[in-house]
Amino acid sequence: MNSLQRVAATIHLQETDRVPVIAQVFGHAARFAGVPLDDYVRDGETLARCQLEALHRYRYDAVFSVMDVNVETEAVGSELRYPRNQYPVIRRHVLSQEAEWDGLAVPDPKQAGRMPEMLKALGILRHELGDEVLVVGCILGPFTLATQLLGLERTLYLAIDDPPRLAHLMDFATDVVIRFGQAQLQAGAHLPVVFDPSASPAVIPPNFFREFALPRLQRVFQALSEAGATANWLHIAGPAAPILHYYEKAGVHIANFDYMVSAAEAMSRLPLTCFDGNIKSLLFVEGSPAEVETEAVNLLRAFRDRRGFILSSGCEIPPEAKPENIAALAKASSGKG
Amino acid sequence: MNDSQMNLLVAAILEGDCAESVFQAGELRNGGVSTQHIVMRGIEPAMSALDTKCTLEEFNLLEIMLAGRAVTEVMKLLYPDGSGVAITKATVVIAALEGDVHDLGKNILKMVLGGSGFRVVDCGKDCPVPKLIEVAEKEQPLAIGISGLITNIIPLVRQVKDLLRLRDLGRVKVMAGGAALKQSSPDKLNVDFVADSAFDGVHYLESLAGGGS
Repeated sequence: MNSLQRVAATIHLQETDRVPVIAQVFGHAARFAGVPLDDYVRDGETLARCQLEALHRYRYDAVFSVMDVNVETEAVGSELRYPRNQYPVIRRHVLSQEAEWDGLAVPDPKQAGRMPEMLKALGILRHELGDEVLVVGCILGPFTLATQLLGLERTLYLAIDDPPRLAHLMDFATDVVIRFGQAQLQAGAHLPVVFDPSASPAVIPPNFFREFALPRLQRVFQALSEAGATANWLHIAGPAAPILHYYEKAGVHIANFDYMVSAAEAMSRLPLTCFDGNIKSLLFVEGSPAEVETEAVNLLRAFRDRRGFILSSGCEIPPEAKPENIAALAKASSGKG
Repeated sequence: MNDSQMNLLVAAILEGDCAESVFQAGELRNGGVSTQHIVMRGIEPAMSALDTKCTLEEFNLLEIMLAGRAVTEVMKLLYPDGSGVAITKATVVIAALEGDVHDLGKNILKMVLGGSGFRVVDCGKDCPVPKLIEVAEKEQPLAIGISGLITNIIPLVRQVKDLLRLRDLGRVKVMAGGAALKQSSPDKLNVDFVADSAFDGVHYLESLAGGGS
């Protein structure tokens, strides 16, 4: 079984030769290769090379063309700052001024900002790995993109002060990420993970998720399926248990769960959905290989009978993670899970 | 005093309905209820209810921000000269450290601390550690609160306590919180307390203030 087959079978809760491991290694691949993070997030060739190096070292089941959470907002017009060896931050949101609402246009992924570089990385990764290893792109969830266009605080106030306007902004955000996701699939991604941290119940109440986020996530996942995505993967970190039952309706096939949700609770809320998670991200920085292994073994045990589990962290493995901890994660599944 | 009207104020704050909160506070005041009474029986119970929700993990950023905005507007109505709530407790210096530009968590801590009677000195986001120490030296606070959303500031967090000791400020407690830092532990971060939420942090500081003064 190759990695892609292993993941595909896992999504359908079928038996596999071993539990797939998807380490959420993004910027860590740059650190690992000795490349400054701000170069990594701006150059598709560099990103792909670093991802391949990390894959060869760790031997897990997926690679990512993921830069950071600011790719879409930059492409729409936000200004970023690129501190040396760090992820970029937003210097100025595109919707800082009232007048800018009228000028919003869906960017062309082949031209706008760093989108073309992300597509280039996907092309290289797919060319190198074919259908052996899962090649994953990334788009933001519509609500998260709205917060990146306007700022989190203003977006949340807008939700209450002017809901139709937020709905309008989220519809625009949905158009942006669908177009970007389709371009990623054309460029070589097997699927783009939909990263939606601002939709977490830590940020918005579950009923707000149901009313605002869910219908647009449905539209995103339907569009990705029609464009040929291998599966639909939703990534919402934090205490997501109260919204998990909406995932099926959204069309999710792989549900990320973070350390704040237990394996038992995740399975009880979504008995037939594949999960990936949920080792604490910081453990990869502060912990030891033995601690990572213990967590991994507990997870493998929890999902053994049900299947449908991808061993992973609950969120991104931080760039400064210890390589031996990631190696321990990959190794933990080498016995039959 | 009209209890049911006071309950309407509490409910409006908890719902994050800013206009309704201001309206109800105005009605109470026009009805002869004292400013202090509105704060004690309206705003403080609302904050306490939010605290309970937070403990039960039925808590989200949207609700706390909306409630915070409603409280701020009510306070503007009650104290038009900007004097605000009487400061009854110690000083706390707060910051998001250099490299971390996410300050929402810090701002929420500021609001909750202020609402609980602490004097807050805000060093802002992206704050270099030497600046934080300088401010602590000047303000002689009970504690420093550091909020962090990203993990790469952890080495900076670890320095704070030792640098305070070098300036003979070893008695100043250091508290950390935020999405990244709360995954860690006091010994790994070299701090005195890791807060799970803003309210958790306030409880810790209140226990210090109660025990130390």
